[in-house]
This record gives sequence, structure tokens and C-alpha cells, in this order.
Amino acid sequence: MITAIIKKEILQLRRDPRLIGLIVVMPLALLILFGVALKLEPQNVKMAVFDGDSSYFSNLIKTGLWSDGYFELYSVNDKQQIVEEIRSGRAKSGLFIGKDFSSLLTENKQPHITFYVDGTMPSLTTAMKYNSNSATDQSVTNDMYFLDENAGTVVIAQDPFIMDTEILFNPDEKETWFFLPGVIGVLIMQIALILTGISVVREREKRTLEQLLVTPMSKTTFIAGKLLPYIFIALIDFYFILAAGWVLFDLPQPSSHLLLFLLAIIYVAVMISLGLLISLISRTQQQAMFLAIFIIVPSILLSGFIFPLEAIPDSVRPISYAIPFTYFVDIIRGLLIKQTQFTDLLTAYASLLFFVFLFITASIIKFRKTI
Amino acid sequence: MIQATNLTKRFKDHTAVDGVTLNVDKGQIFGLLGPNAAGKTTVIRMLCGIIESDEGEARINGMSVQQAKADFGYVAQHFSLYEELSVWENLEFYAHMYNISDEKRLSSLLDRYDLAAFKNQLAGLLSGGYQRRLGLVCALAHDPKVLFLDEPTAGIDPVTRKLLWDDFYRLSAEGKTLFITTHYMEEAQRCHQLAFISSGRIVAEGSPVTIKQAIGNAKVYSADISYLPELQSTLLNTAGMILVNQFGNELRLVVTPETRKSDLESTIGAITGKPCTLTISEPNLEDVFIALTQKSPVKH
Repeated sequence: MITAIIKKEILQLRRDPRLIGLIVVMPLALLILFGVALKLEPQNVKMAVFDGDSSYFSNLIKTGLWSDGYFELYSVNDKQQIVEEIRSGRAKSGLFIGKDFSSLLTENKQPHITFYVDGTMPSLTTAMKYNSNSATDQSVTNDMYFLDENAGTVVIAQDPFIMDTEILFNPDEKETWFFLPGVIGVLIMQIALILTGISVVREREKRTLEQLLVTPMSKTTFIAGKLLPYIFIALIDFYFILAAGWVLFDLPQPSSHLLLFLLAIIYVAVMISLGLLISLISRTQQQAMFLAIFIIVPSILLSGFIFPLEAIPDSVRPISYAIPFTYFVDIIRGLLIKQTQFTDLLTAYASLLFFVFLFITASIIKFRKTI
Repeated sequence: MIQATNLTKRFKDHTAVDGVTLNVDKGQIFGLLGPNAAGKTTVIRMLCGIIESDEGEARINGMSVQQAKADFGYVAQHFSLYEELSVWENLEFYAHMYNISDEKRLSSLLDRYDLAAFKNQLAGLLSGGYQRRLGLVCALAHDPKVLFLDEPTAGIDPVTRKLLWDDFYRLSAEGKTLFITTHYMEEAQRCHQLAFISSGRIVAEGSPVTIKQAIGNAKVYSADISYLPELQSTLLNTAGMILVNQFGNELRLVVTPETRKSDLESTIGAITGKPCTLTISEPNLEDVFIALTQKSPVKH
């Protein structure tokens, strides 16, 4: 008897080739993708540098950092701009060298330089701090000798300069601050994709869709009627989870509540419309569920939510940027932790809006074609 | 009221509906009769705009299907309302889809179909017969001129079936046009006009009386003989045999006009061991139905 049931289950599975594709091909594709993508070795981390000295000695430090391949340096105009670059997300780290660096150094007065790190992502912060050692290691300091004019000898200073590390944003390196904002996005993604993911395919399976198609309703009306209630529900859910984060984990307040609301509504719309698209593509509820899962997993791993985007190789980076969640993570961390200005988040907002437009258009086209 | 011209629908490699042309006048009950998989549902789905035809055109009340949507209602073969909504919620929803919110009229519709008592019951919990009625009520919510019913009484007990048919006549008398698909002879006989569809093509059409003539000049005989497997196989291999059909103790034979009655009688007598007398009989729709459905076409 049990063999009969087992055989029947296998036969049923075999009748759904798309499902077999989903459970065999998708994991393989994701495995290869993650194998290539997840290296945990950030490269070319952007560093905003203000070098007020521009001397032989300050160049030694910069070369030391550069030659490692870990940091990618670029110049900014003053100390203030270093902070702004990191706040906006254009840089993850910064280096400040004062204009009296070489004169203090040659007077053996141990000048200070400042290394700034973005504390939003504690794992990246730790890695950056570790890699900044290449600014102070011997290959740099060994070349820092100079002629002591009084003594008439060449001096090789023991510790020619001191590097201070300043952690910007989330200075306590709280892991919850780093994870929680993204977690809200993951939860909303799951809720939204599964809520709407089954909404149309369920009507198809129960044959109620057929009855609806006979009515004079337009295809666009149907899509809009399917989206709006779920957007509303997911939006309330978003604030519910966020409020729990504020109460239970002391999550910081956003730089602007209006911008946060804007993010919530756009992000929820992206996920709900993506769910609807899944539902229109799928033939069964099972297929829709699998599709949703296969969107959620790479979203979590490739979006910069857990692993910094800097750790994802250039070849896979376009995939990261094709994931809506990437922009959500970027914006919500900017709003809650870094107090980033709207102008610096504009492209991320625009990208999310583009996804809404893309998914809704695709849904309408797909719905027109299937029927 | 309903006009279909050369409707054709292909699914991958096979043609489900092949050049179907139909004309249904106002107030008629039109039956599309045919065996399973003949293309009945595909025709009705094209006429209702659920699927698009590959060729040909359908017009309802002089308009294209898409423009005429407010003028017709559709009751699917399977229960296709929201099980988790109550009877009233389902009805209200479909009425609103046509911008109708006349509660009085909707209530009287429920009364008319004995559903008032179940107003607040979940549709999924209704019995099959009441689900069928609810489907009909929802399709009638917007008072359509044309009603499409896909196998409306399949799996329904004879009492409920009769009640439904009484209602179909009443709707027809009110001036509504009904388009019904069926494979029940008894049901087909109740229609004003019939079209017989087989393998996607209309093979005969007209009133039930004219359809019976589709069997051509073939002869129909009947005899009081109960089922004998040996007899059946022998008769099927007899020259000129079109159809062997057993109804309880009645054996019905449809044969070509050249076949001689006495030859048949002796063939049967040899197997049963008793003398047999065949009586000539009027073809019934069942004979026509099966004869038309058989692979070898009926010779006229």
C-alpha cells in the first residue's frame, strides 16, 4: 500500500515538468551563482582621501594602501567631504592626512592621520580595520627616513606617525543595527511574495478566474484590484515590524519619516507586484511558492544585506543590482543609521520605482497573453 | 442573437474546434450536443471571450464578444464561485462587477432559486445542486440577454434537473437566449435547436426532429433480446451494420438500407437459439448521437 502511495506521488510530480525544472535546475543555478559570488573577501573598497600634505611621505601611505588591492582610493576636497562621501554610500572608508604631516614627521613629532570607517556593516568594518594596517606596516615606515639637519644623520623613525581609527555611524558596531533594517525588508518580501504569489494562480486552480474573465472588467482593473489591498496590508505590516524593532531593539529613528514612508510604500509595491507577476507566470500554487523562494534566497545573499556588496565579484555584481532588495537595504541603512540625505538616495529610490513599473507592465502583458 | 462564423481553435498539434458556424435566434434554447472532448467547452469559451479563436469570429447581440460582455452571462461546467464567500457575498460581488447594486432584485433572484435560506452560508458548503443554482443566480445578476450554460445539469439528480429545465423555459419565455452544451439525449430533446458537434466539427444541425434525420436512410430495428456478448460481437462484424446498441432488454440495430431484415433475424436466431422478430423503429437521438460519433461516417 505504501508503495502505491509513493508511486502515485512520484507520478504526479513527473506530470509537472516545470516543477521538476524548479527543484532541479534552480538550486543548481543558485549553487553555481553563490559559489562564484560568495567569497567574503571584499575588494576595491572605496576610500575617500583628503591629503592636505601631498608629500613624498603621505604618498607612501597612500601607495601602501593602494598596492594591497583592498582599497580603491580617490581624492576629495576636504575633511568634511570624507564624512559626506561615506554618509552617501559612495565610499565605505576615508583617510585624512593633515597639511603639516611631513613637517611634523621630519621633526619626529609623530603626526596623526585619521582612518574613517563606515560602521554600518560591522563585518566590513572589522575587515577594513584589519586591512588598514597596510598603511602602517614596515614596507611603508621603512621608507620614512629623513636627514636630521642638526645631527647631520639619516633618521629612521620607529613609529613615524600614528593612525587613529574613527568609526562613523553605529560606532558601537551593533550587529542588530546592521541586520534589523534589512530583516524588515526580508520579512516584507516573504509576506508580499507569498500573499500575492498565490492570488491569481489560486483563482486559476479554483476556476474562479474563468468566471471573472466573462465579466466586462478590464485586465488593468483586475491587476489594480489585485495589487491595492495587498499593498495596503503589507504596508501596515511593514510599520508593525518596524515599530517592534523600535520598541524591542532600540532601532534608531530615521532622518526623515516622510522618506521612510516613501520607501515603505515603494518597496511594498515592488514586492506585491513581483508576487503578482509570479502568480501570473505560475500554473500551480506549488510552482508559485518555489518561484518565491528562489527569489528570496538570492535576494538575501547577494543584496549586501549579509555580505557587503564589495565582497561580491564584479562579474556577479550586475545580478546584485537587478535585485530590488539591494536598493532597499541601501536606503533603509542610509535613513536609519547614516542619516543620509535624499539626494544621495535618489538613484536607489528611482531604481525601486523602476521595478514597480517593470513588474506591473510585465504583469499586464502576461495577463493579456495568457487569456 | 449569437452568431459564430468559422470559429477555429488549435491547441498545439490538434484542432479542437474546426470551422464552427452557428446562428442562434433570440429567445431560443440552443443545444450544442456532442460527446466528451468534441469541442463543446472550447466553443462556449470562445463565444464567452475566455479564450480567443485562431480563426473566425463570434458576435453576440450584433457586437463583438468583448463589447457585448454586459449582455451575456456564463455558468461554467464546474462550480467556479468563491467557496470561502457566502452565497450573498458571491452574488453581490458578481453584481458589482457589472455595476449593479439593486439589492431588492438580487434578493428576489435568491428567492426564485430557493437560495434565500442559505443567504449567509458559505458557498463551498452548499450541496452540488444548490451550487449549480448559485452559479445560475450569479450569471443572472446583471439580467443578461444571453445565457451560456456549459453542461448545466451534469451530475444533477433528475428532480433538480427538471426544476432547472422548467426555469430554462421560463427564462426563454422572458426573451432570454440560452446556449447549452450537453451530452444528455434527454436534455438535447428539450432544446429548440440543436447542433451536433463531433471532433470539433458540426456534423448535423436543426431541430431535434430534423437532427434525427441526420442518420439518413439508414434503418433502425429493435428486438426484445437481453445482452449477449457473443451476439454483440457477431452483429458488429455483420455487413452493413452501423450501430449495435443495448438498452436493458432492448437491442437496437442501425443498419444500411441494403441490409436485409431476414438475414439479421437468422443471424440473431442462430446465436440465441430462439426465433427472432425485428421491428422497424424510429431513430432516437441516442442512435443518432452514437452513430454520428462513430469513426466511420454514416453513409447517406
